[in-house]
Amino acid sequence: MTVTQAPPQTTTAPAPLPRRRTNLEPYLYLLPHAVLFFVFTVYPIGYGVYISLHRWDLLSGRQPFVGGEFFRNIFTPGTPQFDFFWKTLWNTGFFTLVSVPLLVAAALGLALLLHRPIFGRAFFRAVFFMPGILTVSVMGILWRWLFDNQIGLVNAAREALTGAPPIPWLSTEGLAWVPIVVGTVWWTVGFNMTLYLAALGNVPQSLYEAASLDGATPWQQFRHITVPMLAPVTLFVVVTTALASFQLFGQSLIITNGGPNRSTQSVIQYITEEAFTNTQYSSAAAMGFVFGLFMLVLTAAQFRMMARDVKGD
Amino acid sequence: MTASLRRTTLLALLVLGGASAQTYSGPNVTLTFLHGFTGPDRPVMEGLIKKFNDTHPNIQVRAQAQPWATTWQQLPSLVASGRAPDVAVINEDQITGFIARGAVSPLSPAELKAAGIDRSRFFGPLFATADYKGQSYGVPVSSVAYVMFYNKDLMKKAGLDPNKPPRTRADFLAAVQKCTVDKNGKNATQAGFDPKNLDTWGVSLYNNWVGSRAAYAAILQNGGSMVDQNENAAFNSPQAISAVQFLVDLVQKYHVARPNSTEEAELAAFSQGKVCFFPSGQWYLDRFEQQKMNFGVTFMPRIGGNVRDAAWGGSSHLTLPKQRAGYDANKRKAALVFMSWLTQPAQNLTWTSTGSLPTQPVVAKNPQFANNPISGVFDRLNSVYATSGYPWVGQVMTPFDQAWEAAYLGKKTVAQALNDGVSESNKQIEQARKNFQ
Repeated sequence: MTVTQAPPQTTTAPAPLPRRRTNLEPYLYLLPHAVLFFVFTVYPIGYGVYISLHRWDLLSGRQPFVGGEFFRNIFTPGTPQFDFFWKTLWNTGFFTLVSVPLLVAAALGLALLLHRPIFGRAFFRAVFFMPGILTVSVMGILWRWLFDNQIGLVNAAREALTGAPPIPWLSTEGLAWVPIVVGTVWWTVGFNMTLYLAALGNVPQSLYEAASLDGATPWQQFRHITVPMLAPVTLFVVVTTALASFQLFGQSLIITNGGPNRSTQSVIQYITEEAFTNTQYSSAAAMGFVFGLFMLVLTAAQFRMMARDVKGD
Repeated sequence: MTASLRRTTLLALLVLGGASAQTYSGPNVTLTFLHGFTGPDRPVMEGLIKKFNDTHPNIQVRAQAQPWATTWQQLPSLVASGRAPDVAVINEDQITGFIARGAVSPLSPAELKAAGIDRSRFFGPLFATADYKGQSYGVPVSSVAYVMFYNKDLMKKAGLDPNKPPRTRADFLAAVQKCTVDKNGKNATQAGFDPKNLDTWGVSLYNNWVGSRAAYAAILQNGGSMVDQNENAAFNSPQAISAVQFLVDLVQKYHVARPNSTEEAELAAFSQGKVCFFPSGQWYLDRFEQQKMNFGVTFMPRIGGNVRDAAWGGSSHLTLPKQRAGYDANKRKAALVFMSWLTQPAQNLTWTSTGSLPTQPVVAKNPQFANNPISGVFDRLNSVYATSGYPWVGQVMTPFDQAWEAAYLGKKTVAQALNDGVSESNKQIEQARKNFQ
């Protein structure tokens, strides 16, 4: 039998595109974002550096280079910048230290309660989430009224229940933080709660079943199953909440206007004051960079710490 | 229309429209006009502009309303890039800063005269708000002031004449003491008076920037001032300390004002008929009228001292921002005509419907105010003083407000609070000064 073999077919590959064009293509896709990124991020940061190193005023004919003068002010005791930058940075840090644990714990607590099939679950989820859709001005005015020294509902309730004289919440250093922190927790806890609810839904039920067969108590189940399984979302919640708390501005601006004696003034409010009330743009830019650096270091430290926890080391 | 009839109409228009609003006869121009009247005052301003455009066929004003703060941020870059609006409204706390930084062009006496803008027609200190180093830079278009509201019913109850609000410190102290009554019915002058349980009280003092304007008035009344001749902070002069001390004494010594109070609490208390005298911005007039209260409005009595009458005021001024070289001279002429027209008595009268005070005595005399409670301050409108005249109002007023807060809350003595405020303020001024070298 003769087999006539078909001549081997040579498949001709399409002529390769010139190398250069293939290299350009991905960059073209990136171009729209790159343009926005350069125009709205890189350029403003670079311009900000320029402003912070010069005595910058658009209306002035000269914008002399002053080097690190505005940065030095921040580190020279006796200047208003030294006094108020560090004071307001400490205020902001204090707010973060107090509010983050509250916001994480309250969110987890609420999520655990509302994860179980209780009556009115959807209603309560909505109730706790709802304040978050208010603007900061509505929220601020509400809590300022509640804690007013003379006509606030909190003092009125306290007097009705215990007969105690009113507490001057808004004009006492220290106490002025109460409406700001409580208000912020009430305002933003719903968002973290929703994240925790979603994460709780992803914990395999079989783990709890196996644990209860082994005789684990509810606390042990929570400690050894729920908490580790929620670690990634906890990392996310802690980092985003800490960053949001560091950006404290509207709440203290509206509730106490930073008072009394700047004790609740946030660093952002002070930087805004320096720029737009005192028209010291260069000084404000320098403070903005120092503050930004702080946030960067803190966030990096947080990530290192928490990433270890997530991996379970 | 016959020639004579036309002449009569023209004459009538001239009389109604104010003495000498000048006209512009050059080629058609379009003017851009930037202002911050974005609230309920916006439609009134838009109505006025429409009226101007309708009566001035060769000038078209295109207005843009945006929040004041946006304008303060944008104006420098608009001027620097040569794209400034032809006319811009600048408020009293910003204006000297913009003038000193060269963002606003001076209005020469010849220009003002040609445009029919006569500064003697306006309240003196109000027009002077936009003056700097002997030159004029703006024409007042709107004005608010710190006044003192009083509850007529409570005054009657305390045995005071509600038609004779106090004018001197002694009158005032006597009145607030009679008005301060504890829950047992004893007033502040009687033995056994219990300041811890007040039923009604004499005067509202409070800790925010509005509250500190009472201290501002008191300092000026006593012959003190916010800055000295070198434009350094000087609100710790002996006159200033003694004036502010009296206000703090009202709280701590005479117990005729509530300690630790807020503007909101005092506003509510005045609305509920708990307090006799409520010094604050005249902008609350509307609110009390709607509540059908039996109240009056008067100028701040001379609580600080007897040197002069004084109260704080805020104002908005029409200005001509600095333009690039080669700017159309016709536009400047037309802009001056617009400024002149907008500040004529007829237009100012219309503008008072927004709650602004009259900018000139002739408007204050208009019969439409006769039965309006606000007319109670008109006899002393010439004593309203804005925070201007030095380029660093922010550097002076923020520490001043903080000083008032500390003194009012009793955290510092008056002298300590004012000295601390001045020292902080002068450190900031020293830094700001470098911007102007």
